[in-house]
Amino acid sequence: MNAAKLLRKLRYEKKLDSGQAELLLNLQERRIISVHRELRFFLYIGILLIIAGAGLTVKQYFINLGDAAIISALTLCFAAAFIYCFARGNPYEGGEVASPNIAFDYILFFGCAFYSMDVAYIETQYHLLGDLWENYLLVSVALFFFLAYRFDNRLVLSMALSTLAAWFGFTLSGQRFYFENYYRLYAIAYALIILCCGVLLYRIDIKKHFLDIYLNFAAHFLCIALLSGVAEYKILSLYFPALLLACAALAFYSVQVRKFLYVLYAVIYGYIGISIVIVDQIHRQTFLLFTYFIVTSMLVIGLIFKLSRRFKENQ
Amino acid sequence: MMVVLYPPQQEENIYIRQQAQAWRRSGLITEEQLRAINDHTDLQLRQTNLFFRLLFLVFTLLCAGAVVGLFVWLLDFKDANFIAVMLICFGAAFYIAAEYLAGKYLFYRHGVEEALVVMAMVLFCAGCGILLSENHLTLTQLRIVVPALLAITACWIYLRFGFLYAAIISIVALSFIPFQFNLSPAVERILLFSVLCVIFVFSLLADKPDLKNFRKNRYAKIQACLLAAMYLTVNLEIPGFSGSIMRDTHVVHLNAQLFPPSIYWSSYVLTFLIPAAAIYWGIKNRKRLIINVGLVMACVTLATNKSYLGWTRYAWDPAILGIMLVGLSLLITRWLDSGVDQTRFGFTARDILKPEEGGITPADVAAALTPGVIETQQPPAGAQEQFYKGGTSGGGGVEGKF
Repeated sequence: MNAAKLLRKLRYEKKLDSGQAELLLNLQERRIISVHRELRFFLYIGILLIIAGAGLTVKQYFINLGDAAIISALTLCFAAAFIYCFARGNPYEGGEVASPNIAFDYILFFGCAFYSMDVAYIETQYHLLGDLWENYLLVSVALFFFLAYRFDNRLVLSMALSTLAAWFGFTLSGQRFYFENYYRLYAIAYALIILCCGVLLYRIDIKKHFLDIYLNFAAHFLCIALLSGVAEYKILSLYFPALLLACAALAFYSVQVRKFLYVLYAVIYGYIGISIVIVDQIHRQTFLLFTYFIVTSMLVIGLIFKLSRRFKENQ
Repeated sequence: MMVVLYPPQQEENIYIRQQAQAWRRSGLITEEQLRAINDHTDLQLRQTNLFFRLLFLVFTLLCAGAVVGLFVWLLDFKDANFIAVMLICFGAAFYIAAEYLAGKYLFYRHGVEEALVVMAMVLFCAGCGILLSENHLTLTQLRIVVPALLAITACWIYLRFGFLYAAIISIVALSFIPFQFNLSPAVERILLFSVLCVIFVFSLLADKPDLKNFRKNRYAKIQACLLAAMYLTVNLEIPGFSGSIMRDTHVVHLNAQLFPPSIYWSSYVLTFLIPAAAIYWGIKNRKRLIINVGLVMACVTLATNKSYLGWTRYAWDPAILGIMLVGLSLLITRWLDSGVDQTRFGFTARDILKPEEGGITPADVAAALTPGVIETQQPPAGAQEQFYKGGTSGGGGVEGKF
C-alpha cells in the first residue's frame, strides 16, 4: 500500500473528511507543491549577499565615496527598513506572531545589519566613545532585543545574542575567540546571564518559543568554557564538576521536554570532559587508552539504547 | 539472494509515517488521524531519532576504531601484508555484524549498523590498498584501483542498505579516477562528465513511474546530486570564483589558458544549459529537489559569469546578485499569490508543510555570525587621513609636512 491508497482508504472509512483527503492527495501526488521554503531561502540568501556586497563596497571604496555618502546611505537604508517594519508589522503579542508577508523578517534583519554596519563605521572612523567604544555594542544589543521581541524575529534575536557575546569580548576578528585566562570566566558569565534571561522570559510567558535559541547559545558557551578549564586544570579544579553538572542538567532538561538535541550536547561535551581527565590519569598508556575508549563507548551506546527504548515504550 | 536488505513495504510504511508526521506538524490532520495512519502502516523495523542516531554513529565508530587500534597494537605486526589482511578481516567482521543487526534485530537507520558498515568499507579499502601497494602496484595504479574499489563497495552498500550517503561516496570516488591518468585538463573533465552522464541516464532508466514512493524519493536525491556533480565538472570558473571570494575582487580568469577555446566556451554554454534543463525537467516532472538544485546552479552561473567573460569583478557584485534574488523571489511570490486559490500550475507560495523544529536552524547561525562579519569588514581607522597625507590621491606625492 502507498500513501495515496491509504488516504483513499481512510476517506472511505470516514476517518478523513473529503476536503482533507483531497488536499493530502494533492500534496502526496504532487498536484500541489508549496515553494514557500524555497522562496524564503532565496530571500535570505539575497539579503545576506546584499549585506556582504555593501560591506565589501564600504571597505574597498570608502575613500572614493567619502564618509558623508557612506553614513547617509547606510542610515537611509536601515531607517527605511525600520520604518517599513513599524508601519507594516503586526501588533505585539506575548506568543508567536505570524509575519505579515514572506519578506518581512528579512527586511528587519537587513535593517539591523545595516544599522550595525553604520554604527561600526562611525565608531571606527570617528571614535565618538573614545576608550569606551565597545559600549556602542550594548546599545545595539538593546535595540536588537527590542526589535526581536517586538516583531517576533529569531534572526534578530540571534544577532542580539552574538552582539552581546562580542561585548563580552568574543569576536570573529580578535584573538579572543578562544577561551583563555579570564575570557573563560567571561564566557561562563555570558552563558549564565543569557540562560537566566531566557528562562525568566519563558517563565513569564514572553515569547516562549525563543527559549531554544537562548539555550543553544548558553549550552555551547558554557560547555566550551568549562571544557577549556578541564583541559587546562584537569581534575584539580571546579571546572570538572561544573561541566558534569551542566551536562547532567542538559540531559535532564532534554528528557523532560523530549528535545533530544540537548542529550546530544550533554553526551558529547560530557564524554570529552571525562575523557580528558581519565586519559590524563592513565598517563597515556596505550593498552589502557584503547580499553578505555572501547569500554566507555560501549557504555554510552548501552545508555542511549536504553533511553531510546524507554521513549519508544512511553509513546 | 535479494540485494535489498529491508522489505520494500516496510520502507514504504516508514515513508508514509514521515509524511503523516509532517501533515500533523502542519495541522493538516489530527492526532487521532495520525494514529489511524500509523495503525495502517505496520512497522517492524527499529528506528531512532536523528540525535540518538548521531550518538550511536559516533560512539560505534569510536568503539570499532579503538578495537582495531588495540589489535594492531597488541599483535605488533611489522609486516604490512599482515596488517592489510587484518584490516580486511576486521572489515569483513564489521560488515557481518552490520548485516546481523539489520537482519536479526531489524535496525534501520539506527546509527550502529551504519557506523559498522562505514568502518567495514574504509577498512576493506585501506587493507586492499596496502596489500596492493606491497605487491608491486605503482602509485598511479593504486590511485585508480583504490577509488574504484571504494566506488564499488559504496555502491554495494547503497544497494544493500539503501544509505544515500553511500551512493554519494560512490559517485565522489568514481569522480577521482579520471584525474589519475595524466590526461589534459580538458580530457579529464570530458571523461568525468561522460561518466556522470552515463550514471544519470541509468538512474533515469531505473526511475520508473510504478516504483514505490520511497524509491522515487531516493532516486530524486541521487539525480539531484548527479546534476550538481555534472555542473561542478562543467563550470571551469568555480575555483577562480572561490579564490576571488577568499582573496581579492579583481579579474579572476584562471582556467582560460588550460582549456582550448572550443571547450572553454562550450562549458560556458553548458553552465546555462544544465541549470535551465534541471529547472524545466523539475517543473515538468514536479520534482522539487531537482528544481532547487537547478535554481542554486543558476545562481552559481550568474556568480561566475563575469569570470568566464574576463570582466572586472567589483565589490558590489554580490549586492547586485542579492538584489536580483530578492526581486525574483518577491515577484514569484506575488505571481503565485495572485493565482486562483493562490496557486498557479500546481505551485503555491503558501506555507503548507512546516519543517521539523530542531532547536536552532542554519539561518539562526548565519544571523548570529553576521555582526562579527560586519565588524571584520570595517575599513581601518585613519586610512583616509593617510591616503590624503601620503599624496596617493594626487599632488605628486607631496606629504602634509612639506
